[in-house]
Amino acid sequence: MTPGPDRVAGRAPSARFRVLAARGLLVLPAVAFLLFFLDLPLGVTLWWSLRDPDTGGLTAGNYADFVNSKTYVTIILRTAMLAGSVTVMTALIGYPLAYWMLRLSPRAQAVVFALIVMTFWVPILVRTYAWIVIFGNAGLVNRMLLWSGLTDSPMAFLYNVRGVAFGMVNVMLPLMVLPLFAGMRRIDSRLMTAAETLGATSGQVFRKVFLPLSLPPLAASSILVFILSLGFYITPAILGGGRVPMIANMMDLLVNRFARWEIASVNAIVLLVATLLVYGIYQWLRRS
Amino acid sequence: MQMKDRAPRAPTGLMALTLSGLALASPAAAELTELHVMNAGGLYADALDKCVNDAFFDSTGIKVIQEVPGGYAKLASQAQAGVVANVVSDAATGELYREIAEGLIEPINYDALAPEPMFDEARHEYGFGASYYSTIMAWRKDVKAPSNFVEFFDTENFPGTRGLPDYPDFVLPFAALAAGMTTEEVSQGLDLDLAFETLNRVKDDVIWWQAGAQSAQLLKDNEAQYVISWSGRVIGHDDIAWSFQDGMLDVSWWVVAKGASDEEKEVLWKWMHEQSKPSVQLCITEETSYPGPALGLAEMLPAEMLPTIPTSEQNKAVQWLLNGQWWFDNAAEIETRWNEFKLQ
Repeated sequence: MTPGPDRVAGRAPSARFRVLAARGLLVLPAVAFLLFFLDLPLGVTLWWSLRDPDTGGLTAGNYADFVNSKTYVTIILRTAMLAGSVTVMTALIGYPLAYWMLRLSPRAQAVVFALIVMTFWVPILVRTYAWIVIFGNAGLVNRMLLWSGLTDSPMAFLYNVRGVAFGMVNVMLPLMVLPLFAGMRRIDSRLMTAAETLGATSGQVFRKVFLPLSLPPLAASSILVFILSLGFYITPAILGGGRVPMIANMMDLLVNRFARWEIASVNAIVLLVATLLVYGIYQWLRRS
Repeated sequence: MQMKDRAPRAPTGLMALTLSGLALASPAAAELTELHVMNAGGLYADALDKCVNDAFFDSTGIKVIQEVPGGYAKLASQAQAGVVANVVSDAATGELYREIAEGLIEPINYDALAPEPMFDEARHEYGFGASYYSTIMAWRKDVKAPSNFVEFFDTENFPGTRGLPDYPDFVLPFAALAAGMTTEEVSQGLDLDLAFETLNRVKDDVIWWQAGAQSAQLLKDNEAQYVISWSGRVIGHDDIAWSFQDGMLDVSWWVVAKGASDEEKEVLWKWMHEQSKPSVQLCITEETSYPGPALGLAEMLPAEMLPTIPTSEQNKAVQWLLNGQWWFDNAAEIETRWNEFKLQ
């Protein structure tokens, strides 16, 4: 018996501890940042949602108001429905795009990649307003339709749910395509080659090999798009013409017009819990 | 139990901590070098800088910093947080009453302010009338011109999209006029059923705007053919026609947040005194077409400007003044019914 291994084994925990401690120091700024700028305000929001604005005491009354009023639940459901359809549309457009990019030469890939990333350089407000320039009554599309004689009066593309949804898809597309493309690239291409050598047609290769393997990144991107869509403010405000209120617009109204922080906080907490639930279901589905 | 004993609207420690870190002008500062005021911004804020604030800085060394926007909700949150970062806000008459009722603002010290001669209706115990503004109808020059609000809301004979303010107090009175109420009646208070009847009838032809500048843009982009908007936003564009007929005249007030220090208030009265001068009001009116309440202003205005000014004799005659008390008394019902209407 040599004492060596024992000594090493005995020393290992403290060494590991030191490494861990050093790493802990490294993440400290990030943790502090999150605590102070995310968790603390979130805690305050939670506290406000439970506080009686007149007495300052604890109460469930704000949540009762929330349930009784119906408008809030309706808007949250409408927001979730809209975010859901935006996610589906973004996936339907984004998946073929990412798949097409995968098969380009590296140089062409870089070009397409740059074009997509470039959209992040343009503020959302400008990208949204551009839709009025293109699809508005005096916009490019309607001018062409009128000029060509296909319609006598401008078509109403904007100021309804459809207008808001298309505007959001436009903003969300890069957020779907980029992670999806990254996920698709990680799929081992030898698997498809192997399927081909075993006699699968290209349709079968896609359906039976590529598609199942690309579903997890698709789901991850979709969750990202869905959660971001829930909080949209600018696009419904501009393209909805005040007729498609979403939850962020309602909270703006509650906070900035009516100073009803408590009911706005309840809305925020309900939305947060609902979002976490969606995320939890996704994680659970992914594991099982 | 302990919680229940806390004073109403006690500042929550966390929030106060966060806000005080952000607020640059702490009321406790030894020497006052900055004054934070809130208003609707845009053209008016630019005019205020040009006509008042720049000269005020030169003579007093105090820099007036404008925060956008102001209003009831901002004052209420400040009070709740216990940090009065902005000592002044603008207020429409309806807001003024609400702020008084909730104890958010301080009385104006007219002895210290010593304004130059001004209209009495713009002197309120809690508000100093800064300017008049009108809510009026406007339309694209290529569509049929309405002559009153019955015609304005007649979507059959005057086809086109209406751009309406997404604010109940600026649209309900006109909807009531469209349903047959007279301006005398509306200036006392509204029949809300009639007003909502009109809005329900036309709602498919409506785009709701929130920022004043949006209303003129909607007309220019041909997204809307008719709008109700604030006079200063739609007057002065080549392709937009407008009329003061049956328009709503209102005073825009300066209100002082409760909790402003004596030192700050002293400076404030000086700042407001400057604004009571006809020459300063002339300068602001030339920039914004929102005239102040100085008695001497009318003679100083060039004749060609008179048709565009809410308070010129010809325009004042066809408009009506809003009853702030009625709007305050009915605020809860209006808010509920408005939300139901908008969210249905």
